[in-house]
Parts: sequence; structure tokens; C-alpha cells
Amino acid sequence: MEAVIVENLVKRFKDVVAVNGVSFKIVRGEIFSLLGPNGAGKTTTIHIIATILKPTSGRVLVFGHDVVREADIVRKKIGIVFQDPSLDNQLTAYDNLYVHGRLYGLRGRELEERILELLEFVDLKEYANKQVRYFSGGMKRRLELARGLMSNPEMLVLDEPTIGLDPQSRAKIWDYIRELRRKYNVTILMTTHYMDEAEELADRIAIMDHGRIIAMGTADDLKNMLGSDVIYVKFDREVPEGICKVLPSLRDCRKIGVDTLELLVENATKSLPEVLSNIYVNGYRIVEVSYKRPTLNEVFLHLTGRELRDSLESNPLTQRRGRWR
Amino acid sequence: MDLSPFIAMVYRQVKRWWSARSRVITTIVNPLIWIIFLGLGWGAVFQPGSINSPSIPGIPVNVIAKTIEEYFNRLFGGVDYITFMVSGMAAMTVFMASFLGGISVIWDKQFGYLKETLVAPAPRWLVITGRIVGDSIVNTLQSLIIILLGFAITTRINPIGIPVALVYLFTTSIAFSSLGVIIALKLGSIEGFQMIVNLLTMPLMFMSGVFYPVNTMPDWMKVFAQFNPLSYSVHSVRYWLTGANVGLEYMNPTIDIAILAAAAITLLVVAGWAFNKATVED
Ligand SMILES: Nc1ncnc2c1ncn2[C@@H]1O[C@H](COP(=O)(O)OP(=O)(O)OP(=O)(O)O)[C@@H](O)[C@H]1O
Ligand SMILES: [Mg+2]
Repeated sequence: MEAVIVENLVKRFKDVVAVNGVSFKIVRGEIFSLLGPNGAGKTTTIHIIATILKPTSGRVLVFGHDVVREADIVRKKIGIVFQDPSLDNQLTAYDNLYVHGRLYGLRGRELEERILELLEFVDLKEYANKQVRYFSGGMKRRLELARGLMSNPEMLVLDEPTIGLDPQSRAKIWDYIRELRRKYNVTILMTTHYMDEAEELADRIAIMDHGRIIAMGTADDLKNMLGSDVIYVKFDREVPEGICKVLPSLRDCRKIGVDTLELLVENATKSLPEVLSNIYVNGYRIVEVSYKRPTLNEVFLHLTGRELRDSLESNPLTQRRGRWR
Repeated sequence: MDLSPFIAMVYRQVKRWWSARSRVITTIVNPLIWIIFLGLGWGAVFQPGSINSPSIPGIPVNVIAKTIEEYFNRLFGGVDYITFMVSGMAAMTVFMASFLGGISVIWDKQFGYLKETLVAPAPRWLVITGRIVGDSIVNTLQSLIIILLGFAITTRINPIGIPVALVYLFTTSIAFSSLGVIIALKLGSIEGFQMIVNLLTMPLMFMSGVFYPVNTMPDWMKVFAQFNPLSYSVHSVRYWLTGANVGLEYMNPTIDIAILAAAAITLLVVAGWAFNKATVED
């Protein structure tokens, strides 16, 4: 049975369509990642799956239970780490887990043992009785991870688990995520806008942009869409009309952005000389040429004409937004 | 039914208060200022024994002073003004502190903790009830501190009456904490909340009998006082702490608790309803 089934999900806020007809399935036991730039609709999708937002239309089942009609059952089966911090800074690490456990109906020795086990798991046992406001960003994230696991959920939902962390802390969180899947045998749904994170952790990736899923599959599937090599040719002006016709046989040839041409080839080193000479022969000037083995960034560029990285950097919303203000 | 989520929230509210003990000072400083300046300041006015009273030929000055003092003490229910104030202030402490609980709901929204409670598989009304009860335990304890400090200022407080008074204070707190939560959930911003609360608390406070008796108020004010739950709290708490029975004719401790409990339950139900409708959308 699938852990999650999402069918034609649409979520409209007052003036924006945040999620615009999304469908996907998550298999039990897998790590599934939504990858996309800011504002793609990842958090909105996740909040609907976690029952704290109502869909405008469409259907979402979590372990066979409808997130609207059977919200309580769904809530029992999932643990979640929100994108924005959500710990009680005035309580200790222990008390944060204690209150959470009680909210989920745990008590007594069972609760106490679970807290200690999880604090141990995320290496925070020695800080158990320290108030969370003194914690570093990485420690808080680890505590939230532990909290998400408290109720022994069948699925753990992680919204940008490493946002705002330094490289070491990120690597550490990755280790925990890999290990917790092994140890607790839990299905994981995560979102990220880091390609390396999706590639590193996820069994399957859905690339999301402007409220839609534009491609889905394993990292290799996605990269294979582009063949083995991809060449970018940047002209000194707009990409000339009909340029693709004068080039030698290619897997694909398309304009991305105003002045850049993307060519998919089996072997760039072999194809490049012929490509370049054909362009020269036709009298066009080239400013820049590059070729790569495709990464997810090239896949995103191929699908949207924008770089995932650019869309992050040029977006002023990179900082966390307080959705409550 | 599983009360675990309720206990979770009571625990959280009490623990938060305990971990910020230094803040307790700030919450009791305010009532203390009222007691010290208003209480001692006016207290002396209503006890003219020490100053030169106007003299009426043929009547000794000390008799006049005594008569004036008795007149006022009768107005204040048989106690001096400072005792009158301190006992009313116990109710006011709970009243003011209750609205702070609303502010903490807004903090929770802004610091993301509200989501943590919204995603839990617990009945929402149970979660918010736990929160309000937790806050009310804290508020009642704070008020107890004021009462105990009162022993240093007046000898007229009856220790036997304290436990009963605490029950009334707790009920009062449930009512006004619920009101605070409702306003907080509806407004969502600290500024808006504070504006509404300021507009609300001042009149409620002055029309409750904390500072002066209800029965000598102008008639229009009495009408408002009748509909103000705080009036019943002030009346009953004062009654149990000092024996002074200062209120409208129909007021008595039984009616007081009935009205306070009705207000508490009604507001609590509305708070539960408001929390049930809360989403992360707004
Ligand atoms: N409560 C809300 N009210 C109005 N618009 C919203 C709300 N929440 C999200 N949006 C809008 O919906 C769109 C999708 O937002 P969402 O947070 O789901 O994106 P995301 O993929 O999680 O991005 P990020 O990387 O910034 O977290 C954005 O345009 C956002 O401004
Ligand atoms: Mg997001």
C-alpha cells in the first residue's frame, strides 16, 4: 500500500494559487523529496498532507486515510518538522519532548524512556535540562527531529530539514535522517531547495515549480532525461531563429533564456567541434561555451529555462518568512 | 477520555512560568504599586484621626474624627480603606494577569509553536482548556502572593477565608483567560491585542468595585458593574478575605460563584470554538 496518495491537489490563497494540480504517490519506506525554488508550493503541499491546511480541491490520502475527513487518524500516524522553528524556547529540551509526548497521549515510563532514547539518538542527552533558547541552530533542528519521532510515526515529514544550517550541521542532519530510516523504518517525505540534499537522501524526487510538479523520478531518471552530456552555447545576441536545423544530429536542441542554447548529446567532447564550426560557418558569434554531465540543476534549467540556484539567489524571500505575521 | 493532552498544556504553562520566575516580580509589582500609593495614600484620608478635623462648636475634635472614620469604614464594609483595597487587588491581579495569557498565544503564533499544537492528534478544545487552566493556576498563585503580602499591610485579612477566595479567583481567571485567548486568536497581532485589552481592562477595572464601593457608584455605572463579572469576583473575594460585604443588594457569595462559573464556562466554550477554527492560513 502507498504511504501517501495525492490526486489533483489545488490550494488557492486569496490571490495566489500556491499548489496547482499536483499528483504523486509515496511508497512505504521510501524517502520522497519535493525539490523546488522558493514559493514553489512545497510547504503548502506538506501542510495539507499534515492536515493543518485544507485543500481547495483534490484528494490526499495518508495510509489510506483522507486528510480532511480523517484528520485525527492521519495526525496520529505522522511526525513533522516544520520549516520555521517551532520549539518552545522557554522550556528545556526534555520538557519540549515531554509536552509533545503527552500531546500525543504517551505517559509514564514509556514516555520517559522514549525521550531519553531520542535525546541520545540526536546526541543531545547532556543538554536535556538546558533551556532551548541557548541552543544553536543545529541543536534546535536535531531536537525537532527527535520531537517528530516521539510518537513513533509511520511517516516523518521534514520541511527543509537543513535550512539555514552550516555545512557540518547539514551533514550531521543527513546522517540522522539516513540512520533513522534504518533504525525506525519510517517513510520520509521531505522538501528541500538544495539539489545536493535531494540527491543525497531521496529515493525519488519530484521537482516542483510554480505550484506544479514538472518532473518526477529517481535522481538518475531525472538526469537521464538529458542524456549523458549537455552543452550550453551563449550567443552575443538573441539565439538565432532556426539555428537547431543547421546543427548536426542531436538528442535535443532548445533555447533557454534569451541568449543561450541547450544541446543534449551523447558525448560532448566528440560533438563540440562540429557544433561550433557549424555555428561559425553560419556567421554567428559565440560568447561562451560550456558542457557538463547533467546534475539536477541542469534538469531544472532544461525544464524551466531558469537555474535553480539563480531563482534562489535572485529571490528576496530566501530568508524565512513568518507566515503568521 | 484521555486527559494526557490537557495535562501536557497545564504542565507547559506552569513550567514556563516557573522557568521565568523573575517575571513574577513584574506581575506583582503593578498591584503592589496600586496598593502602596493608592491604598496608603487614600487610606490616610479616610482615617482623619491624625490631622486637624474641622471643629464643630460643642463637639470634641476627636469625636468628629472618630465619626468620620466610622462613616467611611461603614462604606467600605466595616474595614479600613487599605484592607478594602488589598482584598480587591487580589481579584485585580488575577484579572490583569489573565490577559497576559492572550499575549502568549500570539507569541506562540509568531514563534511557530501554535503549529505544533495544531498538528497534534488531540481534541483542540482539550488543548486550549489545558492551556487556560495552566494559566489560571499560575494567576491564582500570583494572587496568593499579593494576599500574603497583604498581611504585612493590614491585620484584617482572615487566613481561614483564603482557600475559598482562591476558588473564586481561579474561576475568575478561567473566565478572563478565555476572553484573552479569544481576542488573541481573532486579532493575531500584539499591537491590536494590546489596544483592545487596554480599551477593555480600564473600564472593567474601574467599574468593578476594586477602588471604591459599587453601591455608591452613579446609577449608570452600577448598570455596567452588574454586567461585569469582575464585580462579582471583587465582591466575593473581599467577602471571604475580610468579611466585608460591599456590593449591590442582591450580591452574595452563592450568586457570585454562580455568575463567575457561568461566565467562565461560556467564555471557555467560545475559546474552544475559536481555537478549533484556527489554521496556519491567517
Ligand atoms: N498563508 C498564506 N497566505 C497567502 N499566500 C500564501 C500563504 N502561504 C503560502 N502562500 C504563497 O503560496 C506560494 C507557495 O508558498 P510555499 O510556502 O508553499 O512555497 P515553498 O515551496 O515552501 O517555498 P519556500 O522555499 O519559500 O519555503 C507562495 O507564493 C506563497 O507566498
Ligand atoms: Mg517552504
